[in-house]
Amino acid sequence: MHALTARGITKSYGGVTALAGADLTLRPGSVHALLGENGAGKSTLIKVITGAVSPDAGALRLAGAEVSFTSTAQAAANGVAVVSQELNLFPDLDVLANLYPMREPRRGPLADRAAMLAKARPVLEQLGLDVDPKARLGSLSLAQRQLVEIAKALIVQPRVLILDEPTSALDKDSSSRLLDILRVLRDREVAVVFVSHILEEVMSLCDEITVLREGRTVLDARPRAELDIPSIVHAMLGQDLPTPVRTTGTPGGARLELRDVVVPDRLAGVTLSFAGGEVVGLAGLAGSGHTTALEVVAGIRRPVGGSVELPGGGAPRDFRSAIGAGVALVSGDRRRVGLMLDKPVWENIAQVRPVALAGARLLRTGALRESARELAGRVGVKPPNVDTRAGLLSGGNQQKVVLAKWLAADPAVLLLDDPTRGVDLGARAEIHALLRSVADAGKVVVLCSTDLDELVVACDRVVVFHKGKVCAELTGDRIDQHTILRTMNTGEL
Amino acid sequence: MTEVDRRVPDTRGKNSILGFGRQVLRVESSSVLIATILLVLVIGALRPNFLTIGQLRDVLNNSVYVALLAAGMAFLLAMREIDLSVGAMFGLSLITSALLMREGFNPWVACLAGIVLGAVLGLANALVVQHIAIPAFVATLATMQVYRGLAVALGDGQQVTGLPLEHSFFTVLGGDLLGLPVSVWILIAVTIGLTVLLRWTPFGYRVRSIGSNPDAAAFSGISIPRTRLYVLVLVGAVAGLAGVLGLAFFTSGDPNIGTGFELQAIAAAVIGGTPLRGGVATVVGAVFGAILLGVVSSGLVYFSIPANWSSFATGLVVLLAVGVDSALRSRRRARESMLGL
Repeated sequence: MHALTARGITKSYGGVTALAGADLTLRPGSVHALLGENGAGKSTLIKVITGAVSPDAGALRLAGAEVSFTSTAQAAANGVAVVSQELNLFPDLDVLANLYPMREPRRGPLADRAAMLAKARPVLEQLGLDVDPKARLGSLSLAQRQLVEIAKALIVQPRVLILDEPTSALDKDSSSRLLDILRVLRDREVAVVFVSHILEEVMSLCDEITVLREGRTVLDARPRAELDIPSIVHAMLGQDLPTPVRTTGTPGGARLELRDVVVPDRLAGVTLSFAGGEVVGLAGLAGSGHTTALEVVAGIRRPVGGSVELPGGGAPRDFRSAIGAGVALVSGDRRRVGLMLDKPVWENIAQVRPVALAGARLLRTGALRESARELAGRVGVKPPNVDTRAGLLSGGNQQKVVLAKWLAADPAVLLLDDPTRGVDLGARAEIHALLRSVADAGKVVVLCSTDLDELVVACDRVVVFHKGKVCAELTGDRIDQHTILRTMNTGEL
Repeated sequence: MTEVDRRVPDTRGKNSILGFGRQVLRVESSSVLIATILLVLVIGALRPNFLTIGQLRDVLNNSVYVALLAAGMAFLLAMREIDLSVGAMFGLSLITSALLMREGFNPWVACLAGIVLGAVLGLANALVVQHIAIPAFVATLATMQVYRGLAVALGDGQQVTGLPLEHSFFTVLGGDLLGLPVSVWILIAVTIGLTVLLRWTPFGYRVRSIGSNPDAAAFSGISIPRTRLYVLVLVGAVAGLAGVLGLAFFTSGDPNIGTGFELQAIAAAVIGGTPLRGGVATVVGAVFGAILLGVVSSGLVYFSIPANWSSFATGLVVLLAVGVDSALRSRRRARESMLGL
């Protein structure tokens, strides 16, 4: 008996086909990876399973019985729960209230907090989430919030649990805890669907793998043991990815220097030198200081000791002065801090140089569009129409727009924080190629990433942070996921 | 200028100034304009006396003040802020100007002082917002009372009269030019100026960027406090301008004049197509929105509605007008999405 089967699911949106007869077979007690590039139809398939959209054709069976959900609430009532990539939580409410949206246990007209707590306790404990249930959700760290989201799904004791990129915001500790949780779910005979871009993780967590490409199932519930990463990548892309090329910085180019930089609780005397022409990766566990180093260079954080010297000379006083001095900061959180989702692509690309940095003058819409078109072409935004609203683009293309708006300012230092979070493999490779071309133009490129494979593929040099100090600088063949992971966890090579 | 809107095929009059004007109107405010014209025609059909040049001129003239305040309000709404003190700034500028004239100052100097005072009041709003770190909505809720109180106190609670009415200030600003009141010409000039500022300058893009996504704006190097300060000063100066135009027309200073204008200005901007969520705004639409409100209140006079019911009737007609506007807007959106835009 299968926990859930989807057969021949078809769905198109106004002429664009998202799913063209996709299949999915889930067994109880098995962790099932659902893979595919962005646009391959993963999220549409998940929406169909959870009742968020109704398919044009195809059949859905839950434990053998045919079902068709008309709403997510109905799907949830039948035991299909989702932990989504975008956190659907209320930052101003406490943890407990967030665990029971619209379904609080009640005593008369009042929410029964005692019953809520009693049900939540074991789940929170299982997840190892050690927070006060009365704490305001907004005061939790991103990783903790993600665990709350998972706890919320577990409380309804689902038969099918969909984890949509659950680990993109988790540190290694929580990820390994997730491994334990998956073990528990297996024992409980829950069918788990695991959507992730991190293939290493998929290989270590999942039992079966389904790959979608262009709305069709190309690998259908194959046991993991039969597959390896290259064969999965091949199935996802229909082709192989190029191997990384490493270079060293051009001597005499732009230089960015950090000398003995101290930030309380974050950096304990960090000295680093970056040369134009190289892509330098910063690695570390959450809170180890690598992202703080970025913030210091961007002027968002003032060090209490030591100094920073930008390529033009001088230290950044604040974020705006850093931008003026040629620093660009691309965040992976593009929806919150990167883009105006309701505005067309050209307005987003115009936001830095012609708008934020310009003095009083008239801007010609035509000229802005023209230069946006050129930049969008350079970074490969698809579709190339600059009048498209940014919110309608896929994650990878949104991130390219963010890159384009900073490239418009011709920065001397390009800082990136998890730039390919939630970006599909093809767009990720294109973004890495862009970083390389920026570096080749003699700019300093510094890349922080939680995706270790990204550091391996894109960087010439990887600096590993441990507890506020630089503990290793890896170059050449020593850049591999295994070494980075071990070093950032132990602080020793 | 071929870029105004190339997505919608419009073969008619593409090369003429008329065609360009039509496109600009379409982009800026077509639905509120249609709603206004419809309303004028309906009132005219029922009460033909309404459709005279003199009456329509009066409607325009009476709408100038709220229209100016609404034009400024569009900037604030575009960056997700609201200024509740515009009506009070309007009143205080008017009274101050009138008092200076009564004290013997040259009326043109007093006029300039009124506009500058408006800008200073706007600056005071901005400083309060910045230094107490509260939203402009809350700050101006307080300064609205402060400014109104000042106006009443300065005027000693009475009308300021005895002004030099034969002076060129009153005859020029209160007079006509080419068949239209001078104040209407000034409104047109301000509308064009503010539209250019909002649409075609970095400052205008910053204002709309902040409303669209404040975090992304800050992360692009846009200074939110500085932009907000400029906008609040601009709104104050426009309110001051509206105040001195009002003085030239009414020829006396009533300390309570302009009470409730702030809500009319917000309503006008929203009716005109500037949403409260920020990110987009249209100055032309806000001005037409104010004219629509003016048409409603003047038109009702023709229907011999009992005085006690006039407020009720005004509200009803505004709802109707907004309904028409909203229906037109959603039809256009549906058409655009059918084209896959």
